[in-house]
Amino acid sequence: MTSVMVVDDDQDLAEMLGIVLNGVGIEVDLVSRGDEALEVFRNNPPDLVLLDIMLPGLDGIEVCRAIRRLSTRVPIVMLTAKSDTHDIVRGLEAGADDYMVKPFKPSELVARIRTRLRRITHDTFNSIEISDLTIDINEHTVLRQGKEIPLTRLEFDLLVALANEPGRVFTREALLGEVWGYRHSTDTRLVNVHIQRLRSKIEHDPENPSIVLTVRGIGYKSGQSSARH
Amino acid sequence: MISGVFSPFRKSLFLKVFSLSATISIAAIYLLGAQLHDRVTERIIEEKIRSSVVEGRSAIQYVEYRFRIRTKGEESDLKALAEEVIKSANVSAQTSGREIILINTEGKRVDGLPARISSNFLDISSIPNQLRIEVQNDSELKWQEGKLSYVNGKQMPGVFVGRIIEIPKIGQYEIYAAYDFSGEERTFSLLGRALWGTGIALIALILITASLVLRLAIAPVRAAATVAEKLSSGELEQRMEVRGEDEVARLAIAFNEMASSMSSQISRLENLSRLQRRFVSDVSHELRTPLTTIRMASDVIHSARDSFDPAIARSAELLLSQIERFEALLADLLEVSRFDAQVAALNLEKVDLGRLLDQILSDFSSIAKERNSQVLLKMPEHLLTIDGDRRRIERILRNLIVNAIEHSQSQPIELTVKQNLTATSISVRDFGEGIDRQYLSRVFDRFWRADESRSRFRGGTGLGLAIAKEDALLHGGDIRLWSERGLGAHFVLTLPLAQESEIDDFPISEIPTDAK
Repeated sequence: MTSVMVVDDDQDLAEMLGIVLNGVGIEVDLVSRGDEALEVFRNNPPDLVLLDIMLPGLDGIEVCRAIRRLSTRVPIVMLTAKSDTHDIVRGLEAGADDYMVKPFKPSELVARIRTRLRRITHDTFNSIEISDLTIDINEHTVLRQGKEIPLTRLEFDLLVALANEPGRVFTREALLGEVWGYRHSTDTRLVNVHIQRLRSKIEHDPENPSIVLTVRGIGYKSGQSSARH
Repeated sequence: MISGVFSPFRKSLFLKVFSLSATISIAAIYLLGAQLHDRVTERIIEEKIRSSVVEGRSAIQYVEYRFRIRTKGEESDLKALAEEVIKSANVSAQTSGREIILINTEGKRVDGLPARISSNFLDISSIPNQLRIEVQNDSELKWQEGKLSYVNGKQMPGVFVGRIIEIPKIGQYEIYAAYDFSGEERTFSLLGRALWGTGIALIALILITASLVLRLAIAPVRAAATVAEKLSSGELEQRMEVRGEDEVARLAIAFNEMASSMSSQISRLENLSRLQRRFVSDVSHELRTPLTTIRMASDVIHSARDSFDPAIARSAELLLSQIERFEALLADLLEVSRFDAQVAALNLEKVDLGRLLDQILSDFSSIAKERNSQVLLKMPEHLLTIDGDRRRIERILRNLIVNAIEHSQSQPIELTVKQNLTATSISVRDFGEGIDRQYLSRVFDRFWRADESRSRFRGGTGLGLAIAKEDALLHGGDIRLWSERGLGAHFVLTLPLAQESEIDDFPISEIPTDAK
């Protein structure tokens, strides 16, 4: 059974989240303090973390950073009462994959959690090669000269989406739909921040990227043609 | 043109006061100097005339005496005597400035004595006629001012003193002594030069003093003006320098007190309004967490409504829809509070209006169908992308279109897009009931409704158009509105093509072509 750790100091909200998520078959671990969250995470690693930004004990941003140090894989979705750019960008830069602004629709939350937990499988290919990287879709790994580059699941999904159709120009909205599961959102900050994070991990020179290229005024595309196996 | 010429005087207190004091002092010194000059020359001339009369009297007596003595002797010597008299006058004129003239009253030449004779070729006609008449009619000594003219053309002001003398056996002669004022004239020109020199020096002194005093007096005024300008441009910490205890220092102290009380008042008000805005923002944020819980709870209840009896099931539906409305209202309030706090910022990107409009219209097609109104889009084939915040532009367009559908009364709605070199206009024209002219200026007010009694549009918060207007202004654009009762409404959103450029010309006027 899928398990989600909910870190929120509002007990009623946390309990309600528990009811909603249990209702769709997700097991929930409720934590109300930032410092406790790390303990729980170590002892009982969840499949996904729902993290409020304003927390007693340890700030949500700090918790996010600490969790990312423990695990590059686990998806982190922030919950925030503020839609102000500053907090959200800070959270994304600390390693969060996605965010939800309160109040949100329960169905939307569930959809986002599902998107984050989905495992990309490919019917025809097991691996894609792009530049000097080898993406193993089944193993969920990215290798460069036999060495694994640790990517978050979201970064992996983003790279696969781009590499899967080399040369195709993806608008930010298209990427939001494909990778994040958004249908109408126009918040392109999500894409920008994660592209930067992805580049900092896979590019030889993140300032002059050769794998994930910017198409000015439109969006992004993957660089050199890739081979599929 | 006149104001152009005078504008430096209007703008500078220094120039104004300086030129005024210069004019007054020049006029006063000129008048004083002229009067002094006139008085002095008048006195000198008077004195000269007096002394000339005394001297003339004795000179005439002497001449008369000599003639009398001589006439007692040989008569034939008369001509020689006259010549001698004239010759000695010729010589003495160099030193005493006196000329002698003898005229036979009857104009006769007697015994070789010429009818008229003068020293130094003085022109006899230069004796004033008036004087000659007076002399001829009286035996007393007469005098009059006149002009000494010489045969060689030289002229000089002077005085003529004359009397009739009786030369025995020969007849009556008019004898005149003429004195020129050349010495006095020299004095006058010297005096004039001295007066001019003194006057100019005095004027220079006065102007230098005036400019020094003015500088002293105006410097604090200028300093106050500079500080006041800085204060009004927002540098509230600006103060004047206080030196000494004079009136200028008092001005500076009073000015600074005014500035301090003003800036403390301003910062108090700023603080209040910051608190107010902060409060609105905090309240809105604090509401979000409980609202999220309510929302989820009501969703859970709503999804189970099939198992409730009809009244409870309907209540669950109403609960959810009202929570949705509450959410929309809260989101709009937050947006408004962001505008009020001036923290709203554009998230700029290239926006493809054609694609955006297609997407919005497809989203609205079901509502439009429900309302029985058709949306017609007129758009040029090639549209330039614009620099803008996609989320905000989309929000503006959704607001305008939803508003038009709501008020269309099943009439078609016309959407028109036009571009020029600097701007894009998107107009939304409906042919519904329209708005009374008197209310046009209030349409963008928060929570304003054209008709209080009219049913509220589903989901409308009353903030939509207010936010749309703010969004347009944030882009450097605008939303303009035309409407008339019964003729529908025409909203025109105009946005600059690029954020750094200004809008020259609005591609679509708010007055619709069908209303012109």
